[in-house]
Amino acid sequence: MAEFTLKEIKSLEYVRPEIEKGYTDHSLHVDLSSKDIKINPIEPKVKEKFIGGKGYDLWFMWNSVSGKTKWNDPENAICIASGPLGGTPGYPGGGKSIVTTISPLTGIPIDSNVGGYFGPYTKFSGFDILEITGKSDAQIVVLIDGIDSKIKLYEAEGLTDDSYTLSTQLTDYFDKEKPVNISVVSTGSAAKHTELGCLNFTWFDAKRKRVRYKQAGRGGIGTVFAHKNVKAVVARWGSVSMKSNNPADFDAMKNVTKLHAGEINELDPKQNRMALVGTTHLVPIMNDHDCLPVNNFKYGMHPEAHNIGEAVYEHIFDKGFDGCWRGCAVACAHGVKDFVPFTGPYKGQKVFVDGPEYETVAGCGSNLGVFDPFFILEMNFYCDTYGLDTISIGTGIAFVMECFEMGLITKEHTGGMDLSFGNRLNALELLHQMVRGEGFGMIVGKGIRKMKAIFAKDFGADAAIMQDIGMESKGLEFSEYMTKESLAQQGGYGMALKGPQHDEAWLIFLDMVHNFMPTFENKAEALHWFPMFRTWFGLCGLCKLPWNDIVPEDNRQNPEPAKVVKHVGWYADFFSSVTGRKVSPDDLIPMSEAVYNFQRLFNLKMGYGTREFDTLPYRAVGPVTVDEYLSRVERYDKDLTENYKVDITGMEITEKVAVLRKHREARYEQLKDAVYKRRGWTPNGIPTLETVKRLGIDFPDVIELLKANGVC
Amino acid sequence: MITVDEKKMEWHQGITIRELLNRLEHTQFCAAVRLNGKLISTPAFETTKIPDNAVIYLLPLIAGG
Repeated sequence: MAEFTLKEIKSLEYVRPEIEKGYTDHSLHVDLSSKDIKINPIEPKVKEKFIGGKGYDLWFMWNSVSGKTKWNDPENAICIASGPLGGTPGYPGGGKSIVTTISPLTGIPIDSNVGGYFGPYTKFSGFDILEITGKSDAQIVVLIDGIDSKIKLYEAEGLTDDSYTLSTQLTDYFDKEKPVNISVVSTGSAAKHTELGCLNFTWFDAKRKRVRYKQAGRGGIGTVFAHKNVKAVVARWGSVSMKSNNPADFDAMKNVTKLHAGEINELDPKQNRMALVGTTHLVPIMNDHDCLPVNNFKYGMHPEAHNIGEAVYEHIFDKGFDGCWRGCAVACAHGVKDFVPFTGPYKGQKVFVDGPEYETVAGCGSNLGVFDPFFILEMNFYCDTYGLDTISIGTGIAFVMECFEMGLITKEHTGGMDLSFGNRLNALELLHQMVRGEGFGMIVGKGIRKMKAIFAKDFGADAAIMQDIGMESKGLEFSEYMTKESLAQQGGYGMALKGPQHDEAWLIFLDMVHNFMPTFENKAEALHWFPMFRTWFGLCGLCKLPWNDIVPEDNRQNPEPAKVVKHVGWYADFFSSVTGRKVSPDDLIPMSEAVYNFQRLFNLKMGYGTREFDTLPYRAVGPVTVDEYLSRVERYDKDLTENYKVDITGMEITEKVAVLRKHREARYEQLKDAVYKRRGWTPNGIPTLETVKRLGIDFPDVIELLKANGVC
Repeated sequence: MITVDEKKMEWHQGITIRELLNRLEHTQFCAAVRLNGKLISTPAFETTKIPDNAVIYLLPLIAGG
């Protein structure tokens, strides 16, 4: 490994705030411009309203940025917080961090929920939230050392850009004797050349004696990190136990932890087997239901999909415990050892790959028309190493491939590369170009929204067709589910606050397969409850997978099995036992609702957050092309005749495509009306004065914002 | 005999996944099962015949990634 130096430029010794009922009640602020380090108390009213995690992130960001702040302005903040329940060893999914910043892709807050030990270690070191602002001239490493009660800033020289090597070097440097005490946050060298940069959060895998990764992938947070010239943020902490959060009722916490972990240990082997295959079980299921994106979301299934599903990855994954937090029973963060890339700087060398998960398989595999599990591993490895989001990379390259096949771009524009679907080598070459900062890869690294503008302006491509097939909304690339036949999931993507990511609502099967929500009002109710409840995990420092991917055996007897009410009850008990704030299951939704609406208002503050931005490319709603229509002709003909009462006798396919589009787009607008009403928003998608008052977020600047937008 | 969610059930020649689910209560949200370890999804329920001595688990409602 190359030599490097860390020159200490600032050190702050502090008295570590004790943790009381899951909270330290203190924040840590690092200003990279002035090199100021500040520790501040967090007011009780902030705790009461924003809970923690994403709620804290948004509140601190709200106070740091103005409505005119751009992603690359110094005042833009990167906030990282766990939550009051985060850091509970043994509670399934109990160690998450939530990261936010103003996204280079969207111009609004992006949030990403990530594993690894950083969030809990930072909290145990004394801080409920870390906020980084400013911009440094020199490369900076930030150390939060909870063992020695010191915060240090270092100027770094000679540190590699390679994220895996960097994390390993810093883990060794800061605690060679006990590497498990270290968690590193870093990005990779492509983050500074693109707008798709991710953050890698580490934990040390004691059995394999290596640094492992999880990603805060979405929205270009790594790009902001690189722009601020942060090389890494390191948290150092020692022992962790069930008492680390100093829970209000230890016995109750221990009891609910035992119940939930015990159930997962018993039932996961009989259900989705996530401890063995992660989320790759979803690949064949999505494919069978025509929901696996193939060739830029054009189709939903492919006969070779079985090559990239659980049946294959089960045999490729390295066996052993793969929890991204201590003692997590789901343990789904699998990896592959001794993989040998066939391109790039690691060509011919054995490497460890952290992944792939479903999103990477679908985005970097089927959506590119590739059904080679080892190609997906190589895309996964280089995206992590280079600091790139596998979802935006997959969806972005899929768009490029369709543009290439449609003749909207040619080899003249791609530097001579054939970018037809299935071209593995050139897909990988785009990644390598992003890290070298050269070639067509630099354009792809700007994301779909900017690509569409460049292709139209500089290459003369048809803007209208690119609008239909470019799978982005609000500037963020879609995650990897087909939504054409699920209106509810179209809403789940189109009305998601940060852009089309499925963590707010995943309603495809309830809607499309089970027809559980036939009316607009049914769908609106689901698009209220599910986003609110899923938000709650991000407030508390938890993972959502243990909620509904392993369920009680009697869950299907419940009239609303999708809510997994038994687990909702356990989460209420967990929250009560740690924080001492007694809550019932019914209290969880209003907790989230305040933060959810606040984030919507944050979008409004940034110049977005109204109806016109909750739009979808038509590819997400229905068939764009004649080919697409013909591929599912029976389904679309039936939709026209039975649902829309259209007489299709004698109609040309092009006419059918146009008529279906008119009806489906109108239906999506009707859905927006119903959802906005259910959420207590105006028809323009803004929370009403009554709503913000009911939720207790009627702060003076919120009222001013509403007034400025004609709401009151 | 077959085993469904660890309970023994009678088997007959030609029984499909769909027929099995129709015999059980509260299966309206079942979109995938494991039949002898292999995933079978809704579109194949009508055509997939269950062999004797099969071990079947009904998967929970699919909830996305």
